[in-house]
Amino acid sequence: MTWNKIRPYLMISPAILVFSLFFIYPICYMIYLSMHDWNFVSPEKNFVGTANFTNLVSEKEFIEVMQNTFVYTALTVSLTIIIALILAVWLNKSGTIYGFVQGAIFSPHIISLVSISMLWMWLMDTDYGLLNWFLNLFGLPSVPWLTDPSTSLLSLAIVAIWKGIGFNTLIFIAGLQSIPRDIYEAAALDGTNRIRTFIKLTLPMLSPTLFFLTIIGIINSFQVFETISIMTQGGPINSTNTFVYYIYEYGFRFFKIGYASAAGVILLVIISIFTIMYFRLLARRVHYQ
Amino acid sequence: MNTTIPYKLLNGIGILIVVSIFAFPFVWMISTSFKSLGETMIFPPAWLPESLHWENFTAAWNSGPFLTYFKNSIFVSISILILQFLTIIPAAYAFARYQFKGNKFFFALTMITLMIPAQLIFLPVYLQFSAWGLLDTLWALILPFASSAFGIFLLRQSFKQVPEELLEAARLDGASEWKIILKIMIPIAKPVLITFGLFSFITHWNDYFWPLVMTTSDVTRTLPLGIAKLREVEGGVAWHILMAGNMILVIPILIVFFFAQRQIIRAFVYTGIK
Amino acid sequence: MAEIILKNISKKFKEEEVVKNLNVTIRDGSFTVLVGPSGCGKSTTLRMIAGLEQQSSGDIWIGDECVNDLPPGKRNIAMVFQNYALYPTMTVRGNIEFGLKNKKVPKKEREILIREISEIVGLTDYLDKKPNKLSGGQRQRVALARAMVKKPKVFILDEPLSNLDAKLRSQMRSELIQLHKKLGTTFVYVTHDQVEAMSMGDEIAILNKGTIQQMGSPMNVYHEPNNIFTAEFIGTPAMNIFEYNKVKDHLSNLSRKVKFVGFRPEHALLALTEKEKDAGYLKLASEIITMETLGAETIYTVKNEAGVMHIKSFIPPFENAKELLVSIPYEKLYFFDQEGKRYRSVSTRQMDTALAGGA
Repeated sequence: MTWNKIRPYLMISPAILVFSLFFIYPICYMIYLSMHDWNFVSPEKNFVGTANFTNLVSEKEFIEVMQNTFVYTALTVSLTIIIALILAVWLNKSGTIYGFVQGAIFSPHIISLVSISMLWMWLMDTDYGLLNWFLNLFGLPSVPWLTDPSTSLLSLAIVAIWKGIGFNTLIFIAGLQSIPRDIYEAAALDGTNRIRTFIKLTLPMLSPTLFFLTIIGIINSFQVFETISIMTQGGPINSTNTFVYYIYEYGFRFFKIGYASAAGVILLVIISIFTIMYFRLLARRVHYQ
Repeated sequence: MNTTIPYKLLNGIGILIVVSIFAFPFVWMISTSFKSLGETMIFPPAWLPESLHWENFTAAWNSGPFLTYFKNSIFVSISILILQFLTIIPAAYAFARYQFKGNKFFFALTMITLMIPAQLIFLPVYLQFSAWGLLDTLWALILPFASSAFGIFLLRQSFKQVPEELLEAARLDGASEWKIILKIMIPIAKPVLITFGLFSFITHWNDYFWPLVMTTSDVTRTLPLGIAKLREVEGGVAWHILMAGNMILVIPILIVFFFAQRQIIRAFVYTGIK
Repeated sequence: MAEIILKNISKKFKEEEVVKNLNVTIRDGSFTVLVGPSGCGKSTTLRMIAGLEQQSSGDIWIGDECVNDLPPGKRNIAMVFQNYALYPTMTVRGNIEFGLKNKKVPKKEREILIREISEIVGLTDYLDKKPNKLSGGQRQRVALARAMVKKPKVFILDEPLSNLDAKLRSQMRSELIQLHKKLGTTFVYVTHDQVEAMSMGDEIAILNKGTIQQMGSPMNVYHEPNNIFTAEFIGTPAMNIFEYNKVKDHLSNLSRKVKFVGFRPEHALLALTEKEKDAGYLKLASEIITMETLGAETIYTVKNEAGVMHIKSFIPPFENAKELLVSIPYEKLYFFDQEGKRYRSVSTRQMDTALAGGA
């Protein structure tokens, strides 16, 4: 009967091997590297303790990167969720038209970020872009969307919101549909008006979904890379440089591996906090069912 | 529910606006891809091209080794898909159906992996591949995604729902464990497998970040990188060529989306209801 | 065809011993029913025979082969499950064929077998349908066909009728009995329903708390229960059992070992008044609590010095009576000792003298 004992291990081993080799071990290696000074080429890695971290947090550029990442995340997540919630309540109806609308707003989610970035670069072009034509139509002046430090980060957030709304709306709709109908019937019998019903019933019942989307949104926004790499390369004047782009540049352009790893570890800690928070609250159940 | 005529009208206009916001950029992409260079440089913009400039597509295609990119993209996405199926099906079955020592530990390991994004670990993985001499090969694009924690998680859920008696009946019918997986579990989990397959294929077809990090030469690069490179043509950005190039990347996905909209939406929304 | 022998079989789940040192021989060609309350170990025993559960100790023999280390598929056993366990993604044909394919039976032979079997169970028109398109009864037939087609040495059925409605259940019950006669294969059948056990089995094994209480033909276990558990479990209403102390005045001089006395509800005679002083009866003046008239028979619930008991009577009901005299012939009394074991060394003669002594 030994074969029966070995079999489960045999079955999980390919997957576990992949995970250990490409996810678990790299995390450990990154933590190790974050405490060393290494330029990728030299055979020696010098142990420097926490020096990379202390240097990092006292550096103006990194502080800016942190700020950019936080502002970008706050903008993207809050606006996406608010707009998606409104759309979900509105579009949560059956019928071909609503099915089509849901499909339409979802479609950007499955398109490559490369294409989305380029499409929006074109739409946001200062001279020939459609967005400025639209503004001019209403008598508003053209905006240098991606080429001015004061608007560049917001422009990137707009792209992320446009891409993310469909996904968020559909999840909200799924959440709305899981709310039992009889609760609304009871509220209607009590003569509760629509807005009150929404605030007192729908919103609390949606809180697990709301919470889930917030956390997922935060985790995703912290990793933003593609749009920056294609649309702005972190500029102008470092105004759109965020975490992952910063790690990428330090690792691959300046070969400061220890430095980049330390930034990676900080990102790991931030993402872990949100992940743990998510699981903690999931276990406690945000709302009674 | 309000069904008065002004309400209906307002609702209809609202829907039109929403759909335009999401669909119009794509329409604009298509329109631009058929324009001449001159037509992209007028303001206010021309809505439709005077004539259809099909040569934009050949220009985009010939601006680099696009056949290689295309082949690489197909090869990488399909290889990942096949390897993922090969690794997640047995693992999900073991996690769902067997009691063994370390069961919980290994599943926790899988769940941790689910939480680690590629953007976090690219640097150490890059160094690892560099040490193995596998940088700038298709291996570096495929191997890290040869299994999927998300896939195991999804499939385990669906394997768990199969009643134990069904497996016992099959065992009494003389079926081996592999046969049970092949003939009973996989057919039952078919919708989930299709869902996951679509998710995986689209994700890796679209992926820009990982190939950007792991490859440096044209022989190993994939379509998204090739498209991104179109920006770097001399003498400023040629939007009509760029948009034509992006159509090559987007059209296959949009066609798949058109035919399997429901499954695809389910595939991506699944990630939200886990 | 084969007999099944269980030798010193025990099964432990963690600390709990669900089957304790079982020794059973299931006769070749018999229709043996394992019956008992839930949690008695009957299903576990069945699953150990099938090889779906490994015994903690002991040997299982099927025919002249010790099957301890044989996987379920190699034991030449077919099983019908409570929920049918049909493969949902396969057609009826696919379900029946699956086991044959695994045994590498050639295609032509498979087709002949499937045609034969589907005619026997009446599924010919449904061969290309999926199970979810079939009714409960039809699914049951597919499960049977799937089992039969393998021509197994032993059939194992785990509460196969409990998901059917009452009418279908009695129909399937008689079909199964006929099927067993036709095939002549050993059937091992598990149920918690003693009526099913009595009506179907030619051999009944009554299990409780992991041990066999009694094994024998239905009539044998009904008329000669070895202990209180069997006596109470078999028969509806259950045997009336009361403490000997409460009727000592009527039945003196019995062995000290006797602690309980019992009788079957249908063995008592009922009368409004004592007609004559006939000897040989235990007589109890009783008060009627309820009376259920079922047409052919009447079931009384009565109360007397021994306690509350059920009486089944086939004479016209005593409509307005409040009290009755219950008389039980001595030879219909069952005696049990402190542990609930049957105490058999009470003879009628002994009782006669006891009566004489009392009078």
